[in-house]
Amino acid sequence: MSSTTETIEPPAGRKVSLKELDQAVIRFAGDSGDGMQLTGTQFTNTSAAFGNDVSTLPDYPAEIRAPAGSLPGVSGFQINFSSRDIRTPGDLPNVLVAMNPAALKVNLPDLEPGGLLIINEDAFDKGGLEKAGYEVSPLEDGSLSSYRTISIPLTSLTLNAVLQTGLNRKQAQRCKNFFALGVVYWIFDRPLEHTLKWIEAKFGKNAMLLEANRSALMAGYNYADTTEVFTTHYQVRKARLTPGRYRNLTGNEALALGAVAASVHSGRSLFYGSYPITPASEILHELSRYKRFGVKTFQAEDEIAAIAAALGASFAGDLGLTGTSGPGVALKSECIGLAVMTELPLVIINVQRGGPSTGLPTKTEQADLFQAVLGRNGECPVPVLAASSPSDCFWAIIESFRIALRYMTPVFCLSDGYIANGSEPWLIPSDRELPDLTPVYAQDPATFKPYAREEHTLARPWAIPGTPGLEHRIGGIEKHHLTGNVSYDPNNHDLMVRTRAEKVARIAQDIPPTEVLGDSRGGKVLLVGWGGTAGAITSAGEQMRAAGKSVSTVHLRYLNPLPNDLGEIMSRFEKVIVPEINLGQLRLLLRARFLVDVIGLNQVRGKPFTIREIIQKVEPYL
Amino acid sequence: MTVDGSAPITELKLDRKDFVSDQEVRWCPGCGDYSILAQVQKVVPTLGIPRENFVFVSGIGCSSRFPYYMNTYGFHSIHGRAPAVATGVKLANPHLSVWVITGDGDGLSIGGNHLIHAIRRNIDINIILFNNRIYGLTKGQYSPTSDFGKKTKSTPYGSIDQPINPLCVAIASEATFVARSIDIDTQHLTMVLERAARHKGISFVEVYQNCNIFNDGAFAHFTDRQFRSDRVLYLEHGKPMTFGKDLQKGIRLNNLNPEVVELGRDYSPEDLLVHDEAGAQPTLAYLLTRMHYPDFPVPMGVFRCVETREYSDLLTEQIEEVSRKEGKGNLDSLLAGDETWVIEEEGAILESVSGRERPGEDEESYHPANNLDAHEEPKCAIRRSVLNDRIGEVRPDPPIIASPADSIQSAIERMARERRGAVCVVENDELVGIFTERDVLMRVALKGLDLEKTPISSVMTSNPITLKADATLAYALNQMAVAGFRHLPLMDGKKAVGMVSVKDVVRYMSENMAG
Ligand code: SF4
Repeated sequence: MSSTTETIEPPAGRKVSLKELDQAVIRFAGDSGDGMQLTGTQFTNTSAAFGNDVSTLPDYPAEIRAPAGSLPGVSGFQINFSSRDIRTPGDLPNVLVAMNPAALKVNLPDLEPGGLLIINEDAFDKGGLEKAGYEVSPLEDGSLSSYRTISIPLTSLTLNAVLQTGLNRKQAQRCKNFFALGVVYWIFDRPLEHTLKWIEAKFGKNAMLLEANRSALMAGYNYADTTEVFTTHYQVRKARLTPGRYRNLTGNEALALGAVAASVHSGRSLFYGSYPITPASEILHELSRYKRFGVKTFQAEDEIAAIAAALGASFAGDLGLTGTSGPGVALKSECIGLAVMTELPLVIINVQRGGPSTGLPTKTEQADLFQAVLGRNGECPVPVLAASSPSDCFWAIIESFRIALRYMTPVFCLSDGYIANGSEPWLIPSDRELPDLTPVYAQDPATFKPYAREEHTLARPWAIPGTPGLEHRIGGIEKHHLTGNVSYDPNNHDLMVRTRAEKVARIAQDIPPTEVLGDSRGGKVLLVGWGGTAGAITSAGEQMRAAGKSVSTVHLRYLNPLPNDLGEIMSRFEKVIVPEINLGQLRLLLRARFLVDVIGLNQVRGKPFTIREIIQKVEPYL
Repeated sequence: MTVDGSAPITELKLDRKDFVSDQEVRWCPGCGDYSILAQVQKVVPTLGIPRENFVFVSGIGCSSRFPYYMNTYGFHSIHGRAPAVATGVKLANPHLSVWVITGDGDGLSIGGNHLIHAIRRNIDINIILFNNRIYGLTKGQYSPTSDFGKKTKSTPYGSIDQPINPLCVAIASEATFVARSIDIDTQHLTMVLERAARHKGISFVEVYQNCNIFNDGAFAHFTDRQFRSDRVLYLEHGKPMTFGKDLQKGIRLNNLNPEVVELGRDYSPEDLLVHDEAGAQPTLAYLLTRMHYPDFPVPMGVFRCVETREYSDLLTEQIEEVSRKEGKGNLDSLLAGDETWVIEEEGAILESVSGRERPGEDEESYHPANNLDAHEEPKCAIRRSVLNDRIGEVRPDPPIIASPADSIQSAIERMARERRGAVCVVENDELVGIFTERDVLMRVALKGLDLEKTPISSVMTSNPITLKADATLAYALNQMAVAGFRHLPLMDGKKAVGMVSVKDVVRYMSENMAG
């Protein structure tokens, strides 16, 4: 992380060098009680408001109350901020803030060689070291010599700054995250205003807390400014972003906003049936706050009831939505089949996590693609879409609803733990830019047939209860191709199975052409990705092309049906490589569908790809 | 009003035939389901609800074919899930009259969870559970209501499962309407169904239904006409519990246990239990559910009927209440959220908005906000004043206002003339900066600027930290102490209405001490 260096003369007369950087990656790590998520979020918002492009990755423990100071209790938050357009939270952090020995132990392996390491030395007492499994303090045994280590008595300095506000010791100690934040703000030459405003808004009613947090932040900043410990200031300039109004957005927030937008633009109330599950619960939390948009949230007794109620609501004319993670989808499968059979619009969100079974609830994975495409009894086609970044979740769910309503079908909208919790700046669209999703209902009893089909989309009509003269019965038993009455006729079943398949296949005619980044005419390597790996894959492609390599990338939004033009695009390249956080699920689908000898680039470590990992693995093919 | 609360339809002229669908009924000849279908088709036209507002939802099983035979909206869903599907239907459109048709296997085995949760929410759905104590559709396995020892295809040596009692489950789940009837007692069944339909909230009705193929005569020993009067207890609200051909027998409470007594010599009707559907506690209803033949006559009728808040109403009210308080949702402002910033053409920040915490958001658990012990009121008067008094009470003087284009010279002159330490720089009525005596020292004096020509905007502090009238003294002092400001503008919205100096605060405190 460096480019130019100049020396400026600070007012104090101390020599501080100012380095300009394109980009920097910081990771805050501490105990889950240390407030690292908040600290990271503050740094993110400050940097975003400053004008950097930012991308974040929170990493929190699965156990809510892991013992304080223990390795499983470590919580981290990584931020990549840049003067360029970035797409990932960064590979290796350049700066690591470790609030205790456990945080150091867990995170040090990721710190880049020579990176800046800021340590809270107060936490490196006998007890803290023991809990982290250190026999000798790493501060003393020379094991940190390959990093620029700065150890600061963060806890005691915070106490000095804060105790006068009247908080007791225990409370005062808890402000140390803001002290650390103040230090890092100074190092990266960030303005304090944003966080000061936030403190004011948050604690405006409680003078003591307000003072305490403000004092801790200022004290940290002033400490870095006045002591001789830090000799370098870094500057990351504003990024050249598309002009407009921005906000920061996580994937789960984006899904909730997109669902509300779909409701407003379809004129139907949103019904969200859900059961709490990591990492999808935030969608339920978010949507439950949007009552003013007429959003009905239903926390059901289980995953099955959550989707069944959403399907019932959809039958009765609401916009049915259910959200969960892989284990929940397993429980919902039967009802997804019912939605396929009854041909009702319904969107199923799967925020994928590590599997199988309970797996790794707080870690990310892309291993539910087969489940989405294939995981039901019978010939049971369901369109599958995937979001590629936190803010893309907004567009992905709107598109999912468009397809659900236009084709009268359940639709999978896949996200993952990485983009669900990660955030990025989002150019806020205006209401007017969003597509019109107004559905067409059956109204006329004279012509109404429950399973008569629209010529192009093969969608059946949506006739909602309360409409006079359209009383009809639907259900999970095979039905007559026009009347919807129960039918066991072999030819009718064959027709219906084929029709349902054809209906979903036709969606491929209704999606934009596949975009190739790089050389669309062809070349040596084409990387084909899907879902939350977009940032790493796209950036890897860009970096390799910048180094003169023949690498292009394609990132798929539509996984079922696959885009019709994809086979032809792949045929223009010598090698097609599919990086996935699974053991090759998209690869198998591509091979089956297009008969292309696709190469897999797979790892399943509960973590997103780094750009470097992709480059290293792709290089041998060039 | 109609029972569902929708518009009254006085001229509705519906009869049984309007509710008969064109589908051939496919139950086994002689099945009890026929009678239940006929009674439902008799009752629904009398409710004053238009046909298009009925929705029948079912699960899987013989009984669950029911919706196909009703000429209404119908949803034949999957095994056990009908209460959940119906909940979604009702919440999507509370004007609908929603019915769930289920069986003992569908409702109590695979769907037991949905049943109890639909009941405890008290959503306005009529659940009719056809209890034939057998799996009919899958051809004769024992069900959760089959008797202990029952020999079936899957229990050739007799069932070792204890049966579940549907009405006990309903009462334990806080059902607000609980009733039982029999397929062959058509008049009674009609009465019970109608009462269930007219009850606002969950209605749970168990119907003893004969499966003449796999469990024929399961209830015959007490429902057969010849002994029904002696072996069935018809419940009537407010009436003593009597039964028998000449009502010569009754139920009395002996301590907490019911017992059968003969009226006449030892007991009179006054000694008997009086049925009360609407008791505050469901104790009596529960006690009745425990009465089984042959020790007791089997109770039939409405066990319990009470009114409490209904779920779809609560949801609707909450949405209306929130919309009233927060205003109808505006998509643009939702998408913008609380914290935004604007990127201009060359990548500069035009404006940054930082909002308050959103309502209802969780605080992170580690934050001191959650760990503060109850505040003690500070004993020292200064401390109390600092923590509690608001900066508005200090009554600072109105600020000196300058516009950004004013020269430094003119600003300094006004500060000197009015003996004030700072100037508010205002454009279009909005505060854009502050210029203080310290700026004169640090930014002007040493730089040799042309005081006449240089506009104040080039040396002022833009977007200064400000105070609101309701900020505490502590907050103001903290700003001054920590950040080293001596002057802070007092704001009303975007307008500066005062200039608070260190002096003002000290003066206020000393005055209050003296008083
Ligand atoms: S099997 Fe039994 S319950 Fe089912 S239709 Fe036949 S008689 Fe009725």
